[in-house]
Amino acid sequence: MHDLSSLRQAVLVGDAAAAVSAARKALDDGIQPVDLISEGISPAMAEMGRLFEEGDCFVPELLMSARATKQIFQILRPLLAQTGVKSRGHVVLGTVQGDLHDIGKNLVAAMLEGGGFEVTDLGVDVPPEKFIAAVQNKQARIVGLSALLTTTMPAMKTTIDAFNAAGIRGRIKIMVGGAPVTQSYAEAIGADGYAENAAASVDLARRLAGT
Amino acid sequence: MNDQQWNTLVSVVRGEALRPLPTGFIIDSPWLPNWAGHTILDYFTDERIFLEDNFRAIRTFPEAIFLPGFWSEYGMCTEPSAFGAVSVWGEDEFPFARKVLRSPAEIERLEKPNPRKDGLLPFVIKRLKHLQPEIEKAGHKIRFAVARGPLNIASFLMGTTEFLEAIKTDPELIHRLLAIITDFLVDWVACQRESFPSIDGIFLLDDIVGFVGRRDFEAFGLPYLQRAFSADVTVKFFHNDAPCKASAPLLSAAGINLLNFGIQHTLAEMKAWTNNQVALMGNIPPRDVLADGTPADVTRRVADMLKGLEDRSRLIVSCGGGMPPGAPTENIKALISTVEEVTR
Repeated sequence: MHDLSSLRQAVLVGDAAAAVSAARKALDDGIQPVDLISEGISPAMAEMGRLFEEGDCFVPELLMSARATKQIFQILRPLLAQTGVKSRGHVVLGTVQGDLHDIGKNLVAAMLEGGGFEVTDLGVDVPPEKFIAAVQNKQARIVGLSALLTTTMPAMKTTIDAFNAAGIRGRIKIMVGGAPVTQSYAEAIGADGYAENAAASVDLARRLAGT
Repeated sequence: MNDQQWNTLVSVVRGEALRPLPTGFIIDSPWLPNWAGHTILDYFTDERIFLEDNFRAIRTFPEAIFLPGFWSEYGMCTEPSAFGAVSVWGEDEFPFARKVLRSPAEIERLEKPNPRKDGLLPFVIKRLKHLQPEIEKAGHKIRFAVARGPLNIASFLMGTTEFLEAIKTDPELIHRLLAIITDFLVDWVACQRESFPSIDGIFLLDDIVGFVGRRDFEAFGLPYLQRAFSADVTVKFFHNDAPCKASAPLLSAAGINLLNFGIQHTLAEMKAWTNNQVALMGNIPPRDVLADGTPADVTRRVADMLKGLEDRSRLIVSCGGGMPPGAPTENIKALISTVEEVTR
């Protein structure tokens, strides 16, 4: 049994250097990369998500934790590839066309990675065809659409319609989120799920992935 | 805003409980042009459309106080444009400002803009100057100097993610950035006041305040808001429709005496957290009820909200945040008439 308490603490406080150091030590001590994620990173990010939902931590703290996990993943990715271990699923994520806001999407990406998902982040102002190409290239099964403006929300439906037209809608699950988005809007446009915040996106992705 | 509406606003800010309660809305480019039948870009670029749309709202809802009143704006692009941010426009989309700073280190080369010459700011002033005679002939005056707040502007200059991360990684540089922005804001407010001596209020909008906790707000929000609100005016109006719990207890220390907030919190919560020192403007759900509900939904929500409220002092009934895009006339009228009926 490996003691990952110092790694979890470093992620919680957003100390990237300490988190990476703790990760390297654990790997040197023989921990499997997948166990480092499930016993170290995922519980720490889940705790950050809980604190965020309860209003006990805020966006800067979440970003720093995300930064720490990102740097750990830079070490882990090649090791995971070597061991052939699969993630919980691959999520293609982006802010929809016409919208340049990225904060929500960035938080979701961080939480999903911490939750054991592989994430392809397409950035902002993403046209439907770019989402489709990424899904096909990465064999992703989940798509996450973010919009922060009521004027760009319709691009979510446009993107979903594009997946229908491309004949691959049935192969993927689409989750949506963003400040103006609601559960009823998600249902109206044919999304498979709505996440109220970044923390909720992990549980939603797990449900959609069937994991 | 006419004299009666201004006097009502001042009474509310000073703590009076009025009967009936006043209703008010922040109206701007996300709602007004489309409601009046115009595109957002036409609203920004055609002074006649700007004026007629504002007058149309006033004629349609004579009982409502529109804040800040004849808001000469270019969406989120206004202040960032003075710093050299490229503004991105669509025919009927909210404009957006592209980042100026690629890293915190670039803050060192940032200079304070001149609000009299830089970016879109002279256009903001000139538009109102051209229309001032007609506005005043109709019995209204320009009452507020308006600007986006320091954290909001910083997030546009750097990127929101980058700014919020840099609060932790490069706090000294962020203080430098916020100081430059706030010096600019003090100048910009002064410029507006010089141009329109009828101004007796400052209105700042800053949702980014809602993204940080209390300690970060004390360090990176409060001192800069205090300076930005430091002019000697009667109404100091703040909009933040992101979470407010962390900042609420400190808003009066920033000089703020009127707050428009979002639906994360109830009126009762905000009254408690601000120690009833800050007048509140809210709090009907803007999208789900005011925009997408029926008039009956609006009536029900307004009545429920007001029935549950014991202390009706320092209150202007409104939706959470600004008027939402697509809010129909009948719903707005339902809100106004319900308030009148329930609170007279």
